Amino acid sequence: MSIYLKLVKALLASVEPTAEEKKRAKIFTGVMAVIAVFGIMLPMAFFVGVIIYWLTDRLIPTGAGQNAAELFLQLLSVFSFIFGLNVIFSVFYFSGDIENLLPLPLRPFQIIASKFTAALISESIMEFILIIAVFAGYILAAGLPFYTWIIALFAMLTLPIVPLAYCAIICMLVMLLTGFIKNKDTVNKITGFLTFAVIIGLIIIVSTSGGLDAEHLITALSDPHNLLLAVLNSIFPHVHLITSAMVNNTAVNLLFYLGVNVLAVSAFLLIAELIYLPTAAGLSRSASAKGKTLQKSLSSLRQRRPCVTYLKKEFRILFRTPAYFMNCVLINLIWPLFLYLIYVLQGKTNFMEPFINDIHNGHEEAVLIFVLGVSAVSVLVTAANCIASSAITREGKHIAFMKYIPLSYIAQLNVKALVSILISGTGMILYVAAAAIYLGLGIKLTLFCCVISLLSVVFATYFGIFMDSVNPKLVWDNELNALRGNYNIFFNMAAAILLEAITCAGAYLAFKFTPIGSLFIMVVLLIFLMVLTAVSYLLCSSKAVKNLDRLIG
Amino acid sequence: MFGMIKLENVTKTYNKTVRAVDDISFSVGGGEIVGFIGPNGSGKTTTMKLITGIIKADVGKITVNGFNVRREPLKAKESIGYIADNPDIFLRLKGTEFLDLMGDIYHVPADKRRERIRTLAERFELTEALPTAMMSYSHGMRQKIMVIAALMHNPPVWILDEPMVGLDPKSAFELKQMMREHAQAGNAVFFSTHVLEVAEKLCDKVIIIKKGHLLFDGKLEELETQGKNSSLEEIFLELTEK
Repeated sequence: MSIYLKLVKALLASVEPTAEEKKRAKIFTGVMAVIAVFGIMLPMAFFVGVIIYWLTDRLIPTGAGQNAAELFLQLLSVFSFIFGLNVIFSVFYFSGDIENLLPLPLRPFQIIASKFTAALISESIMEFILIIAVFAGYILAAGLPFYTWIIALFAMLTLPIVPLAYCAIICMLVMLLTGFIKNKDTVNKITGFLTFAVIIGLIIIVSTSGGLDAEHLITALSDPHNLLLAVLNSIFPHVHLITSAMVNNTAVNLLFYLGVNVLAVSAFLLIAELIYLPTAAGLSRSASAKGKTLQKSLSSLRQRRPCVTYLKKEFRILFRTPAYFMNCVLINLIWPLFLYLIYVLQGKTNFMEPFINDIHNGHEEAVLIFVLGVSAVSVLVTAANCIASSAITREGKHIAFMKYIPLSYIAQLNVKALVSILISGTGMILYVAAAAIYLGLGIKLTLFCCVISLLSVVFATYFGIFMDSVNPKLVWDNELNALRGNYNIFFNMAAAILLEAITCAGAYLAFKFTPIGSLFIMVVLLIFLMVLTAVSYLLCSSKAVKNLDRLIG
Repeated sequence: MFGMIKLENVTKTYNKTVRAVDDISFSVGGGEIVGFIGPNGSGKTTTMKLITGIIKADVGKITVNGFNVRREPLKAKESIGYIADNPDIFLRLKGTEFLDLMGDIYHVPADKRRERIRTLAERFELTEALPTAMMSYSHGMRQKIMVIAALMHNPPVWILDEPMVGLDPKSAFELKQMMREHAQAGNAVFFSTHVLEVAEKLCDKVIIIKKGHLLFDGKLEELETQGKNSSLEEIFLELTEK
């Protein structure tokens, strides 16, 4: 047991910041953690809790009170499983510590148990918060006694175990029975494709079932033979057992819940003991590539300006590294699908229809909301794709390269910014132009929206680079870890969202409660974004350069 | 002799507590090969990072090829060919792409770049590997490409942090040969090593450092006289274990 605990501690410590990073991060992390917790985590948890409370309250008279909480927890399990696959594959087979752990006189199940626990702790913090929010909504709506809170706390810590145990079993069996996963790149491609497929699948299911408005949802959830819930309960039986243990006050359900967890963990540890070592030996962390002859490669060499070739290097690394490609580039194609999903989720009570009609008719308020929305989405997308907010982090242990080459820091940061602006900006302008043309906004307003979008992207880009420069996460095991569990990205999103929310809310309130016209507000917004962009550039060219200069490479 | 690398009373402290380099001064002249030796954690890599501008000195002045590292960092950096202690960099790029990047950054004309890459690739037997992704390279191959990248622009100052680590005997021999040729052309070569035999055979001068303090800076003969004709290994151990 002590070996297991020490290994877990060591594995968790290996993804912790270094002493230097901790020192740099002291105040910054404190402030940003407050923004992230109070600006994103708690509001999201509160929102989920309120929805579950409201649905449970409506479902209790139908005798299906636990179904809303159950469905949400099941969906959490599904997402935990999908995202967990990549994490488990990486942690079990493609992390840098394997070469050090395998030669040690440890039983395979000891290695796997500690790796599993470290992954569970580091990857499930947001999930823990959402789970407790679901239970809070459920317990309060159903008026359950105090002891159920204790069960809820226990469930919060244990619910993610079964989906991750499934991932562990599947991952080891795939490695044993198939020969096609030889490196981390293949795993990233497969899990990326799987995520994409699930999103498309969700869109198709929802759009063909006529949407998911509140009434439709309550009717579906009150059906005792709800097919989706029945299927999910057979895959993740522990969710039904724990919610039943709460509502029916039965120790038997709780015991069965514990039993399912013990069974899942025992099964994957047993499999690990039997097959982990032979499947883990001899794997590489990335694919190799075949190349041309040297003669051919050299003939295509041309002398370019340093910034141009640096830009090419940045693009090559972003597009060739699956973890960066999926999280930084592909996300720019996926988010419109999410937007469409939200649109079709509304079903018959589609509140977008009147809004779209208002824009078509040139309604002043609707057009202003659209323009504000363009700015908000542009900032959000730029922050979410984290090209800028991980620009320095992605250099990792080789930050020294940025410092010993004869290219000024600001030139390098500008090139990194250009990558973000080109990828985020091109996508945004295309989407905005398409939406504006579809909504019949006219050429002037369409161009105005494109300018607003571009300014928002540039602002968010320089702001993101500045945020990353404050405390870049330079110690990471593989590229995915540079992005996952990187609080900088999260903090940058929180700060950007907060700033944009204040801007948009201010503009809207000014329109609503003062005699100022929408045109004037839009011009003020344009000027304000210009100022924000200039300020973020100045922050980058002064503070970020200083931050980079004091980094120890 | 003109100091191509010159450190004057340089101090570097980490976290305000650990004095990694403590008031050191030395110079490396043109035409010299200088070995930088010392136990693990003695401040060798920190000193090299200070010279290359990767980190800043708290106190003191550093000049490279006549350029103050703090005041004219870009000119100083252009004068340096630096090999870091870890060659696992930009592994998603192909060897030729990485060298092309370095060629552009150091303004090496295309024809000269082609010729230099071809010559160095042949010397290090890397011709076949260069057009493939560096991810597939062994540690030694990665080290070789770092050497080629650092030397491609033919800089007047070479700063090499443990350059022999991972190199096969032929490549190590080639590199030593190149260091000699470079010094003979009037340039400065400053390298750290743990292999005392290499220092003994290659260096005009050695600098010994321990816990951030310079213990010795001079010619090997002086050291041998001081150590009553003991071997470099014995003198090194005696100096660093005091």
